[in-house]
Amino acid sequence: MIEIEDFSITFGSGKNQIRAVRNFNLSVAEGESYGLVGESGSGKSTVLRAMVGINSHWDGTIRVAGEALTHKRSVESRKHMQMVFQDPYGSLHPRRTLDDTLSEPLVIHGLDNREERILKILKEVGLGPEFRFRYPHQLSGGQRQRVAIARALILEPRVILLDEPTSALDVSVQAEILNLLSALRKAHGLTYIMVSHDLAVVGHLCSRIAVMNRGEIVEEITEDQMRTGEVTHAYTKQLWTASQGYDRAALETFQEFA
Amino acid sequence: MTMNKMKMTGFETSSPGEAPLISVRDLHVRFATPKGQVHAVRGVGFDLGKERLGIVGESGSGKSQTGRALLRLTAGNGSIEASRMMFDGKDLMQASAKTMRSIRGSRISMIMQDPKYSLNPVLTVGKQIAESCRRHENVSRAEAKRRALAMLETVRIREPEKVYSLYPHQVSGGMGQRIMIAMMLITNPQVMIADEPTSALDVTVQMQVLSLLDDMVRERGMGLVLISHDLNLVSSFCDRVLVMYGGRIMESLDAKNLDQAQHPYTRGLLNCLPRLDGNHDDLPVLRRDPAWLTEGDDVPEGGAA
Repeated sequence: MIEIEDFSITFGSGKNQIRAVRNFNLSVAEGESYGLVGESGSGKSTVLRAMVGINSHWDGTIRVAGEALTHKRSVESRKHMQMVFQDPYGSLHPRRTLDDTLSEPLVIHGLDNREERILKILKEVGLGPEFRFRYPHQLSGGQRQRVAIARALILEPRVILLDEPTSALDVSVQAEILNLLSALRKAHGLTYIMVSHDLAVVGHLCSRIAVMNRGEIVEEITEDQMRTGEVTHAYTKQLWTASQGYDRAALETFQEFA
Repeated sequence: MTMNKMKMTGFETSSPGEAPLISVRDLHVRFATPKGQVHAVRGVGFDLGKERLGIVGESGSGKSQTGRALLRLTAGNGSIEASRMMFDGKDLMQASAKTMRSIRGSRISMIMQDPKYSLNPVLTVGKQIAESCRRHENVSRAEAKRRALAMLETVRIREPEKVYSLYPHQVSGGMGQRIMIAMMLITNPQVMIADEPTSALDVTVQMQVLSLLDDMVRERGMGLVLISHDLNLVSSFCDRVLVMYGGRIMESLDAKNLDQAQHPYTRGLLNCLPRLDGNHDDLPVLRRDPAWLTEGDDVPEGGAA
């Protein structure tokens, strides 16, 4: 479904040049759920932003469903790949009702039956029709993230890119959103790429996980390796250990990976 | 002291026999808003010794307001009430604004969540640390600078001289939080209130920051209140945990016994965490019971039945 080869992105030039992502290769099958984990600055979000066309100056090849993406994206090509952002407080327009927010992608892509589609999608993400004319400030964080998911889903995409979809939420709300995401994937046969710094969250939703450090994939692991902690690369091991909770003895063995 | 009794009261510190550093009973924080009164903290009581006490809860559970009330940092429309709020023999409820100023930052410090917003963007970090020192103690500029540099070294910043003259936007999140800790520790406080000190940080950096706080508790005998929403983190780091919901303490228990928690709210919170060794099944969703907000009204404050 998604193939990325020799992908790289560089920001800035001269001595301020930062190679945010380099030698990046990825292959995700249709209906798969793939995870990207890494610490801040590892380039994981940058990859997603290039895929949806927010960053346009990447090098390499990105193929979605066999078709190579061009740097200047057509409106139609954007329809099949949608993104859910980290912060539900920042990603919804504060002065637009949910109806406006959900209609906008429909207008851009010239889809009809808008009312019907909006009511259907609200129901799917677990919000009733009474939410349709509310503003974001009238919703809780979890409800807002449901709207952000509805906005991505309303175009009936085949791929959804999730950029830390639950990191701004409480653990109880996080469980609800994770359950919703896995139910939607089953119902629509969606392909997910999920970015997170939380190994447990990625491990819950994804079957294969790439660990990134300083713009490169250091290791690709399966869900079984994630459960048992039988990983080969030292960086992955360290990340896994740190996710187990506070451990003074383990901390002494930590090192910097440059 | 039996385990059972500990759970019942929540007032027992990890070092029985010693007088607690902070003792709070029946704390209420209320806010007057245009939409009516918001009762954020409802009858919280606990004792803090020279230990690591964790307060966990979801957003809106009143955990941060509990920490802020101790330092009288509650917003202007808020009111604090408590039948007892003692710090080292002083009654904080009766203390004048002047007394509070002498305690705040000097004997009880607070680390805020996000270093990006808590550091002054137009002063170098070194100046800010030295200012905290000069504000509370009568020392010369040179002495304050020397102590600030020493403090930066204590929080394991490699090139203190270089970092001293950096501005907050030039440092990373983890380093920013270490600078905040340096600023708060330079006055050698007896109690540190850390309000989500690591939730903006990467897991490995989070461990390093926590180990610094751990050192302070072990080596200086400081009391630490760690406010967090991360149950796993708190249970692995703290000695004791208070679980809050709706402004009340639902349960108080030893951190190492967290997996044996009795209260349905604590159990619910634990169950809805995705686990590294878990499978892809749907996570159990937390069900809230309105009865939790009234239970125990007939027993002393803070006691979770």
